Amino acid sequence: MEELIQQLKEEIIQALNLEDLRPEDIDADAPLFGDGLGLDSIDALELIVLLEKNYGIRLADAAAGKEVFRSVRVMAEYVAAHRTK
Amino acid sequence: MAQPVIVKAGGCIVSPLATGTAANLEAVLSGRSGLRLHSGRWPGVEPFTGALFDEADLAARCAAAGLDSPRLTRFERLALLSATEALRGSGVDPSAADVIFILSSTKGNVGLLDDTAAAPADTERSLLPASAARIAAHFGNPNTPVVVCNACISGLSALITAARLLRAGRYRHAVVVGADCQSRFIVSGFQAFKALSPTACRPFDAARDGLNPGEASATLVLSACEPVDVPPGAWVLERGAVRNDANHISGPSRTGEGSFRALRAVCGDISPAQLAFVNTHGTATPYNDEMEAIALHRAGLADVPVNSLKGYYGHTMGAAGILEVLLSMEAAGRGIVLPTRGYRQSGVSRPLSLSDQARHTDRHAFVKVMSGFGGCNAAVRFSQEPAAPAPAPGTAAAVCLRTARIDSDGTVHTDRGTHPYAERGAALLTAIYRREVNDYPKFFKMDPLSRLGFLAAELLLAGDPGRFGPRDDRAVLLCSRTGSLCNDLRYVRTLQWPEAYFPSPAVFVYTLPNIVAGEIAIRNRYLGETSCFLLPADDTGVQAALAATAWADPATKSLVCGWIDCPDADHFTARMQLLQRTTTA
Repeated sequence: MEELIQQLKEEIIQALNLEDLRPEDIDADAPLFGDGLGLDSIDALELIVLLEKNYGIRLADAAAGKEVFRSVRVMAEYVAAHRTK
Repeated sequence: MAQPVIVKAGGCIVSPLATGTAANLEAVLSGRSGLRLHSGRWPGVEPFTGALFDEADLAARCAAAGLDSPRLTRFERLALLSATEALRGSGVDPSAADVIFILSSTKGNVGLLDDTAAAPADTERSLLPASAARIAAHFGNPNTPVVVCNACISGLSALITAARLLRAGRYRHAVVVGADCQSRFIVSGFQAFKALSPTACRPFDAARDGLNPGEASATLVLSACEPVDVPPGAWVLERGAVRNDANHISGPSRTGEGSFRALRAVCGDISPAQLAFVNTHGTATPYNDEMEAIALHRAGLADVPVNSLKGYYGHTMGAAGILEVLLSMEAAGRGIVLPTRGYRQSGVSRPLSLSDQARHTDRHAFVKVMSGFGGCNAAVRFSQEPAAPAPAPGTAAAVCLRTARIDSDGTVHTDRGTHPYAERGAALLTAIYRREVNDYPKFFKMDPLSRLGFLAAELLLAGDPGRFGPRDDRAVLLCSRTGSLCNDLRYVRTLQWPEAYFPSPAVFVYTLPNIVAGEIAIRNRYLGETSCFLLPADDTGVQAALAATAWADPATKSLVCGWIDCPDADHFTARMQLLQRTTTA
């Protein structure tokens, strides 16, 4: 799980162009949205693309993403349970 | 001397329902809709509901009008269809030097970039100014055509710009052509945005779940008229305004800020009871319709009948403003408030006067309002019983307060002097950001055009005591040739079917060249007008004429304007100015 968390952090930084962040700057248990990383609705949509592209997981809408993107750890658990690639 | 009055001299709608404004009104009144389910239309695109032309029907209509030249693209034929019909009987000679062509479109020929049969993609042909030039040349018009590319408000922006150019006496007639075609490029982007409804859209309804893409073309011919010469019953463009939310590049303001301000600017001088209706944007996305309900209430228009035409035509993008204005004129002229197809039960937090049935009106004025990506909002008011014309204002003059320049060869220059940089191309922009800004990480999410415009504005405004708003007296007006081309190509690369078809919403949003104006408005919290024009060349005379139109809005006291062009990530140029109005009356 820790390996997947680290991998997701790197993928998030790359997909969302978080140029000034390093993986260790992201707390795996902190909320991804809200104040933390300053992400917005377009970032949420881009994370949906990331899940499909890298893990073959399709989320129907942004509302489904809200649950999955609570933190990197929640995201990693979801990926581990649902990945198709 | 009174100002000239801007009147409708001709108009035509070409939609999947019919050719001709009256024929479209009949179709709508008989309950017909162009919305159909489209499955397997383009590789990778999921089934969607939209209002698209039947190809055989469109080909027949083009052939009947003599518009079947293979040198014209589908988009250009469509645009020419409505322009030809609108000019017929308008009394306007399109080849005359006092006529200007203004094209309103969001993406024009962009489908050519995604044409896998054509390799390499014809990038020059995909540019909107190339299409505008073909349209103007088709009619033998001698003037440089102007493309208004302001996302979904383009149609209203184009009408407002036309009226200003006519009032300034630069031309006597303006042919304002709005057109957009649907393509995999656009539909995939809206699907990535999760903005499309799988079924016919439901504006303002509790069950609304997204918009439907549509394609159409609509042309409105406007003429400048002396007040005594206005024909009885003529539709007069009385007011128009554009305001930015300064909030987010894709999400509407939760307070309806820009929409409210645009509505206030066009309705402030009349009683709401004088309006037959407000024709809303009403796209049927959850956020847009809620925002509009709030804006209408804040503007004191809660009791005025409102409607949305998206249930008949879908969202026709660059055509929408002109199509919906023309159909509203036709309806109001016959005492009708058109129904909102798909509306049953209110799903917005503020009550509005909506109906899925036609209603009667005896008023002879209406307001049309729209909102778009980049945070822009526009409203116009048309009337058949216009108020007494305003006295002609003094000639607005402006003084240049500041300048800034960035070129990909390393030239970075402001009034403070030359800024030395060793970097070139894309690396230059990152270096400028690091040295001059460095605390706005959103910079790295922007496309190359927005990075360029954002940094030019940073250099321009650094140290300006009045720089940061919120303020609604400062406008942003940018001109470009290649617009978002560089990013359009980047978006196409996310559409590699079947091996790598992952349309990127974050890339798609920047495929609109007006987003850079929105980025500048958000950064500095400018709630004033924002505009983007595309021109066939870096022509300073045309740019000065367009910049001067900004002073026609009495709210605008200063203007960030300039030329930004970025054909690829390593080749770009930006020249920006901060102008200030020197005479107000």
